[in-house]
Amino acid sequence: MKKLIPLFFLGLAAIGMMLILNACQEGDASNDVSPQTGTGGSMARFAITGNTLYIVSRQSLEVYDIKDGGNPAKAATRNLGVGIETIFPYQQNLFVGAMDGMYIYNNSTPDNPVLMSKYTHVMSCDPVVVQGKYAYVTLRAGVNCRPGGSFSSLDVVDITDPTSPSLVNSQVMESPYGLGVSGNKLFVCEGDKGFRVMDISDPTKPIRKHFYQEVPAYDVIVRNKHLIITGKKGLYQYEYDDSDSLDYLSQIPVL
Amino acid sequence: MKRILLAVGIALLMVSCYIRDSQPFVGSVKFEGTGYRPVYKDPEDVAKVEVSAAQALKEPGKIYTFDRYLFINELGKGIHIVDNADPKKPENVSFISIIGNYDIAVKDNWLYADNLSNLLVIDISNPKVPKLTKTIPNVIPVVSYPMLTGVYFECADPKKGVVVDWEKVSMDEQPKCYR
Repeated sequence: MKKLIPLFFLGLAAIGMMLILNACQEGDASNDVSPQTGTGGSMARFAITGNTLYIVSRQSLEVYDIKDGGNPAKAATRNLGVGIETIFPYQQNLFVGAMDGMYIYNNSTPDNPVLMSKYTHVMSCDPVVVQGKYAYVTLRAGVNCRPGGSFSSLDVVDITDPTSPSLVNSQVMESPYGLGVSGNKLFVCEGDKGFRVMDISDPTKPIRKHFYQEVPAYDVIVRNKHLIITGKKGLYQYEYDDSDSLDYLSQIPVL
Repeated sequence: MKRILLAVGIALLMVSCYIRDSQPFVGSVKFEGTGYRPVYKDPEDVAKVEVSAAQALKEPGKIYTFDRYLFINELGKGIHIVDNADPKKPENVSFISIIGNYDIAVKDNWLYADNLSNLLVIDISNPKVPKLTKTIPNVIPVVSYPMLTGVYFECADPKKGVVVDWEKVSMDEQPKCYR
């Protein structure tokens, strides 16, 4: 009998695999877009829009044409100041997070990004995400981010006019890293402190709803009510609905 | 006379900038016997990319999703490829070992990854067996100092190889570089 147990599990796994494969085929049929690109988190230094790959180094924005995916061709370089950290494409703009501010580039011509403005803030580490007319920027204080700095914050910046962004709200945070936005929800990774869910029904006034201290979080991807979070303890996946709570899906633990 | 004085003065000023060994400290922080030392690797070893069976996460970094797959960076070490068709049961598929890797992006069947200053192009049409198809050198300008401020460090010497990391060690003498 004992010998049969592994066989039973193998059988289950096989059935599971078949179900997964089936589900995927159905999905593919309705999702026929070209070219297909993926989604990164807010901490990313790589971003793809259409046939263009953007890479931010510590001091520059490098643009590569990837029409021929296997042979990236250099299209442009933009030298920036020091301490460049993240890039977030949104509609026809690129939002580049730097230690002293946020650069907004227009990339209507993908191979030739044009600097629209730079929103300057205090020295800190700061990824950015954008939805509609607002950019959400976290500013993390710390040894390497804001030497001698006192607190971390979440800033809401009105980008209706990308040539003159303006601060509309700022609130103190614990130790914010990546963040994600979707609909009326804003998710903030607070490093080893946990994962925060905020309500942005009024996008200019994020309201704290839940703080999951058991989920150390470094970066998050949000899509279709589905959260993928990485942190010190591993990768977590959750589902959420219009309420403010999260439903646990799975974890890939750190071993 | 005045000209000589001026010349000597300027010379002294220049020298004062040049010789730092005798200074008590260079930056705003006093040297206290520890500093950072570059960890060098041979450029050929750095560019080596290996694919292996799935590995457990140790220090997960950034994440990227594409189609049913999840790409999880292992800080400075490589990329875990995870089949996430069922988010309730993600299945770790393979691991691509890449030195100095922190970032990933995907278009169609192509995975782009950083490998210190190199940009790698990896064919993932079969995510179980990813294949490196191209290494483009000098795409990402890298800096030759530790990602810390207020620290002393041994100046990097390009002749010794590629700096892949910085280790904190005790030092008898104050190193020449500071930031």
